[in-house]
Amino acid sequence: MLRKNKSQIQIGETIAVLFVFFILIIIGIVFYVKILKSNLESEQEELSQLRSVGIVQRVMFLPELQCSEGNVIKDNCIDILKLESAPSIMQGNELYYYDLLEFSDVNITQIYPAEAKWVLYSRKTKDFKNKFLTNVPVSLYDPITRKHGFGILTIETLSK
Amino acid sequence: MMDKKAFEIQFNWIFVLVAGAAILLFFTAVTVKQKNVAETSTKATVLKSIEAIISGTSVSTDTTNIIDIPDSDIDIECNKISISGTERVSKQYQSLILFAPSLIKGNKLITQTLDFSIPYRVTNLLYITSPQLRYVIIGNNNLASEINKSLPVKSKKEFYQSMPEIKNSNNYQVRFVVFQDDMISFPKSLEKMPDSDVTAIKINGDIEKGKIEFWQKNGDSWLSKGVSTYIGKQTLIGAVYTDTLDMYECSMRNVFSRINLVTKIQTERTQKLILRVMSNTGCNQFYNNGLSHLNNIFTASLSFSIQNVDTIVESSKLLSDQNKNAQAYSCPLIY
Repeated sequence: MLRKNKSQIQIGETIAVLFVFFILIIIGIVFYVKILKSNLESEQEELSQLRSVGIVQRVMFLPELQCSEGNVIKDNCIDILKLESAPSIMQGNELYYYDLLEFSDVNITQIYPAEAKWVLYSRKTKDFKNKFLTNVPVSLYDPITRKHGFGILTIETLSK
Repeated sequence: MMDKKAFEIQFNWIFVLVAGAAILLFFTAVTVKQKNVAETSTKATVLKSIEAIISGTSVSTDTTNIIDIPDSDIDIECNKISISGTERVSKQYQSLILFAPSLIKGNKLITQTLDFSIPYRVTNLLYITSPQLRYVIIGNNNLASEINKSLPVKSKKEFYQSMPEIKNSNNYQVRFVVFQDDMISFPKSLEKMPDSDVTAIKINGDIEKGKIEFWQKNGDSWLSKGVSTYIGKQTLIGAVYTDTLDMYECSMRNVFSRINLVTKIQTERTQKLILRVMSNTGCNQFYNNGLSHLNNIFTASLSFSIQNVDTIVESSKLLSDQNKNAQAYSCPLIY
């Protein structure tokens, strides 16, 4: 009877050791997953920021908007005549521009000489995780009067 | 009593065995899962690098880069990029302008971008290849040497005036670029390579436009896969990089839809110039002429064909002349 109890205790001990061992492993895994998740989240945020900057750059270099003189491109300059035509064309080909601009809102606001606003592209998603707003000062060139105005290119990017 | 003890010892061993097996199974499962996660993550990294290259194309013009990536096989299809393996990681595009071989192997990528204008800027063309892919350029005209000069120095390219004796240097793919009237004979040393890994193009044209015939190895000879066309040096270089006619035509269709969109904006811009620039300046005749050429380009860019390429090339030249006239008369320029 005593012997039986001893062996039962031995098995009980082993089970207890295994139980503690698995508990420790589970704690370790939970801890590891939490660290991994936080790293992933910060990486995702960094990636979203990079994507947002990428979209800004792509908009700035769109031939649909850029100023040019004899095909010589002017940096940070948007042609007013192109800008007047671009919204209808870009909104009419939203799926085409999705490759370039993804889920974002692209607007240009003229501040000087007169106030005006053009909505170039708008494609939104409801289930986004990050939202970034980027404002870029741009020169708005009128090729007829050959005068430069001043405006702000606003890009709001949404990422899942 | 002895039987009972023996039973106890046996039970202990069975218990240890079961517990040990459970522990081993648990760690094996974790390791296998981690291995799969690591593989998928590596593929995602490669795909992210390619995505970054593609999105950066519109910003950087006339650049060549060599990019280190984890060793992988990249499959390029029409508007789709995939990383091969047990679990494929893919990215689908609406309209991808990328000239590349259908399979890129290795741990390095050569990327090149060139500006494409007709004569106003349309887009930047992106080319991707592997340093392990061999290009053999054969021709004795200016176009052949121009294409040789335009290909990246780091690519495995060889330039010959006439057909040399080709040795097999164990490249996973070999591409011949022929600037001769007659197709070259098939090199004996490459007969053992798979048919899809030895391809060629025969070019008949000049720097502005021309015809390209695509060829593929068929046993110990060449098999013609069809004829297409190019517009400007940039798309001709595209045909050098792209190993199948289907992939080339897919990228060219995307180039044409881009031409169509940009031309639509240029057309509307010119219409505004006609309306707003004072008629007594004499600029309007240049704009009216320019507008008709832009309309021709717009109509021709609706589909990629040999006739439409001819129309675009002719109209581009005439449009360029009108822009020069506008400049000479100090008018606001058409583009």
